[in-house]
Amino acid sequence: MMGMEKQNFVDVLHLREPVEALKAKVVPRHGSSVWYYMGGLALFFFLVQIVTGLLLLFYYQPTPEAAHSSVELIDKQVPFGALTRSVHAWSANALILVVFIHMFSVFFMKSYRTPRRTLWLTGIMLLLVTLGFGFTGYLLPWDITAYFATRIGTEIPRAVPIFGDLIVALLRGSKEVTGATLSRLFALHVGVLPLISVLFVGTHVTMTALIGSGVPLKAKVKGETRFIPKYIFGESILWLIGLALLLIVAVLYPWQLGTAYDLTKPVEPPVGVHPEWYFMFLYQTLKYIPEWSAVGFYTLVLIFWTLIPWFDPSRHKIQSDASQPIKPSYRSHIYTGIGIAAIAGMIALTTLAYISVAQEQASSQGSARAVSESGIRADSTQRQPTNK
Amino acid sequence: MFEHLPTKRRNILRALVVGGLTAFIAPFVYAIGKFLAWQGAASGGKSTATLSSDDLTPGSPSQLLEIQGEPIIVLREPNNEIRAFTATCTHLGCIVSYRPELLIGHQTQPGFYCKCHGGKYDANGVNVPGTRPPSPLTELTVHQEANDVTVSLTPKSGA
Repeated sequence: MMGMEKQNFVDVLHLREPVEALKAKVVPRHGSSVWYYMGGLALFFFLVQIVTGLLLLFYYQPTPEAAHSSVELIDKQVPFGALTRSVHAWSANALILVVFIHMFSVFFMKSYRTPRRTLWLTGIMLLLVTLGFGFTGYLLPWDITAYFATRIGTEIPRAVPIFGDLIVALLRGSKEVTGATLSRLFALHVGVLPLISVLFVGTHVTMTALIGSGVPLKAKVKGETRFIPKYIFGESILWLIGLALLLIVAVLYPWQLGTAYDLTKPVEPPVGVHPEWYFMFLYQTLKYIPEWSAVGFYTLVLIFWTLIPWFDPSRHKIQSDASQPIKPSYRSHIYTGIGIAAIAGMIALTTLAYISVAQEQASSQGSARAVSESGIRADSTQRQPTNK
Repeated sequence: MFEHLPTKRRNILRALVVGGLTAFIAPFVYAIGKFLAWQGAASGGKSTATLSSDDLTPGSPSQLLEIQGEPIIVLREPNNEIRAFTATCTHLGCIVSYRPELLIGHQTQPGFYCKCHGGKYDANGVNVPGTRPPSPLTELTVHQEANDVTVSLTPKSGA
């Protein structure tokens, strides 16, 4: 019977069922459903990263001698090269921001609960991969800031008990940050992490499609949005806005390239050297407590954060079961509080970090008196002759 | 899409959707095309290459040089004349070698041989009919002052 029918790839690949499921898929509509679009927006920036990253790969050369000049070549000579690199850098930042927004919105909606606990795990994995992309990509232009950020970033894991030295050695490929380190971070950035991320993004998106979006307990569901076409249209509008913003920002504020770092001529770091904004809270923490305790603290935080779907007391409650009266404990206000505390902590530490960076820059630009008073930056007094 | 609309309207809407998407994608295709098709800055490097005529001996009568990325073969003929040719085989871009004794037809004579697909050229760089290369090698201008041989990318006039 089948042999008589005309078959297309949908039948050959047994996609009839998923296609029908997708056509029938609906997304619940309620006061907080706007946050559902954040995951899709993260996917958009991820796709932008793949496209622009692949393009940059055609010109970038991962050696200490050639890296900086190849990036300069992309910026100054390759048609649309500066735009491509600028979009890649801005989109990376947008991706990290949206990933954080997506994570916290899922957190506050308590959408990590059964049946989405595994979804939360893949999300945590993707968060780490995204931050890994940020860290490894930062070194590639091989400018002075990138070099120092990598020196410090690859030194921190030394605080890990027993395995510290091994982790540092694995990351650097040599005692110091050298061409070997550049090769390794490049391999991670364009090989290992993309492979992991594609696998996990695929899992994450497929699971979302199969399980559906979680509804917050207190939300009043007003109806449903058909996934095809209405939800897709909504998401498309957001993608187009994202694309437009990326292009505008990339054109108006081209991503800067610092001075090349020459391994044979060590220089001191620039005044107020600091990591990208998404690592600023970690950077600030390291100013207050020893590395081992910071590493220990954030490891525990990460483990706790990862296992939240198993800690949350209402984990056995399936949220979509609206017929049951909601017990207050199911809303688990304590976890809402933890989430708010986490955000407040991160914002506070980040703000403090930027304030201290600004102060350091101001003090180095100020009078020599201010410099000597602060008791630091003796090096800058050497470079800047005093007025006396 | 638009199945519920009358045929004419449906066609107009479909054309608008397809046209709009094409207009949206076209600039990206253009930019990516320009990005990828870039051929680098004006080819750097010297426009000539030099060697000493002493480097070309009866035992090793030819040498490969490079001018602006292009491989050049310089050789000393049995009559001691020094000549230079482009070394890129006109068949599929392999690099040819000079053979003082190459079997061309039924005769052994000097010529160029391409190891990749057995292409042959005679001593003047003319491709031997029946072998793969479709066109001759280009003979280049050679300037000799005492032992100093200078080759330029300019084709030899009258060659």
